Amino acid sequence: MESAVWIILLPLLTAFFLGIFKLYSDKLFYSLVIVSMVIYLYLLILVINDSYPPKVYSIGNWGLLGINLMVDSFSAMFLLIIAILFITVIIFSLNYIKVNKHKFIILTYVMIAGIAGMVLTADLFNLYVFLEVSSMSSYALTAIKKTDKSIESSFKYLIMSTFGSFFILLATILTYYLTGTLNMAEISLEFKSVPFMIKSTIMFFFIFGYGIKIGLVPLHAWMPDSYEASPIPYNVLSSGLVMKSAIYALIRLLYVIFGVEFLTESGILNIGVFWGVLTFIIAHTLAYQQSNLNRLLGYSSIAQIGYITIGLFLGNEKGLIGGSFHILNHGIMKGTLFLVLGIFYYSLKADEIEDIQGLGYKFPVLSFTFVVAALAIVGLPPFNGFISKWLIIEAAIEAGFFYAAFFILVGTFLSLTYYLKVIIKLYTKTEKKTLIEKPDLSLKLPTFFLGSLCILFGIVPSLPLSLINNIPKFLLNNSEYIRILLGG
Amino acid sequence: MELPYVVVIILFYLGIYTIIMNKNLIKIVVGVNIVESSLILLLILISFKLGGTAPILDRKYELVVDPIPQALALTAIVIGGSLIAVMLALVIKIYKRYGTLNVDEIRKLRG
Repeated sequence: MESAVWIILLPLLTAFFLGIFKLYSDKLFYSLVIVSMVIYLYLLILVINDSYPPKVYSIGNWGLLGINLMVDSFSAMFLLIIAILFITVIIFSLNYIKVNKHKFIILTYVMIAGIAGMVLTADLFNLYVFLEVSSMSSYALTAIKKTDKSIESSFKYLIMSTFGSFFILLATILTYYLTGTLNMAEISLEFKSVPFMIKSTIMFFFIFGYGIKIGLVPLHAWMPDSYEASPIPYNVLSSGLVMKSAIYALIRLLYVIFGVEFLTESGILNIGVFWGVLTFIIAHTLAYQQSNLNRLLGYSSIAQIGYITIGLFLGNEKGLIGGSFHILNHGIMKGTLFLVLGIFYYSLKADEIEDIQGLGYKFPVLSFTFVVAALAIVGLPPFNGFISKWLIIEAAIEAGFFYAAFFILVGTFLSLTYYLKVIIKLYTKTEKKTLIEKPDLSLKLPTFFLGSLCILFGIVPSLPLSLINNIPKFLLNNSEYIRILLGG
Repeated sequence: MELPYVVVIILFYLGIYTIIMNKNLIKIVVGVNIVESSLILLLILISFKLGGTAPILDRKYELVVDPIPQALALTAIVIGGSLIAVMLALVIKIYKRYGTLNVDEIRKLRG
């Protein structure tokens, strides 16, 4: 029963002890990193296995007054992404990071603790606290390279993200004022008697606050800068976990606290779908103009967030399944792209499109992995991105949003244009380039692992879908979630 | 009873205005601080009862204030404090590199 608590505690404790061990010996430091990573993986698998039917963990036996953690299928899916990306990133960064390596690993552990807390908690204020823990370590991780750009982009990120946090905190306080409780299930019951206008205002604050953290289009300005300036292993976590945990929290709040009837009544579902379409069209257009590969992938991340938003805001079963599956897939695909790019940067200092010319012949297997992930993210069969995109399109047609389904196809072509640009450059012959440093196996292995998952989840989608298929049961019908949380 | 809420609203918008309109990094940090304080004030206000005492489990005290917002306020203060610390650290770094605190002069990145 305690394993879910340890999912939050273990990375925090590890980070604390890593800080002490760093002073004494490197050997102790790295052995603790590895040991704690393996135990963490074991704990995650234990909790994911145990996620259906959902379990409530009440800390300290305080019942509803205390802090409750809840593991349902949506959080289990997110724990799966944490498991996949955390392991790969830690192994990759052991050799990749040159500047401030110890600090990078410690901060990554703190960030994972925050994200795991956001995913598991069933308490509104805890959600805010864990959100701040993960964002605070993100600011530091963005600035960790100590270049002019990284510090500047970190400050920009900090200001915009803080702006979002204010609105989230304000909405949390107002919710407490109206309902007198912070437990999500009790809030949901109390909210039934709150007037429509007040509820809509609180919902607007939540959406605006989380919208900044997610990077929906008018609020996205910090994101490409932070991608350009931060170390690449952090980019993997940022696109795979930090943005996604914010959208996770938003969806959890909207569907559990407000309930799907209120969402339909207030018309926010229509706005969400429209916002998603706007987001990916603009982001794709901007991505096409970039010459820096990190920025290009950053804009592509924003675009994928658009697809996910459409899926999750459609308000039907298929949309939720497709959107959640796309969260998982995007983490894996973008992770692969960033890691390959990381190896190029490690061995050649290449991060502009011009720099990677001809590398397809120098690193044949790596480049093939890049092409696989790029085609997956565009949404071509038989890779994983195709299946989740297809589910979202089907759901959009089912819900009557024909324009959304049409624009997803348009967006696919737009993304194909700029990814083809990169792939063609990769396979254009040029004069020999000399390697600065040869990438070794600890860099390549995580990359190939993620790349092979792209193909595996594309050919056997039932593997993750058996977990994801249970998600709508507790989101579309919040009374089920409430019953379990109150009964626990 | 209405006046404190008006103060909170004024402080909140003042802070937001400061963050958006100012060009000076230190003033932006001050703006963040003002918004943070207004939210903490709001937390304390919603738990306030005239004549209430500390929440001690005793029959003698009938009228007690709600303890939860006060605990939340403490947490919010801690988060706000660490946020300001990170922010000021970054401002110091920026000032050492660029020699200025004006936002317009330190643009290497394009939106």
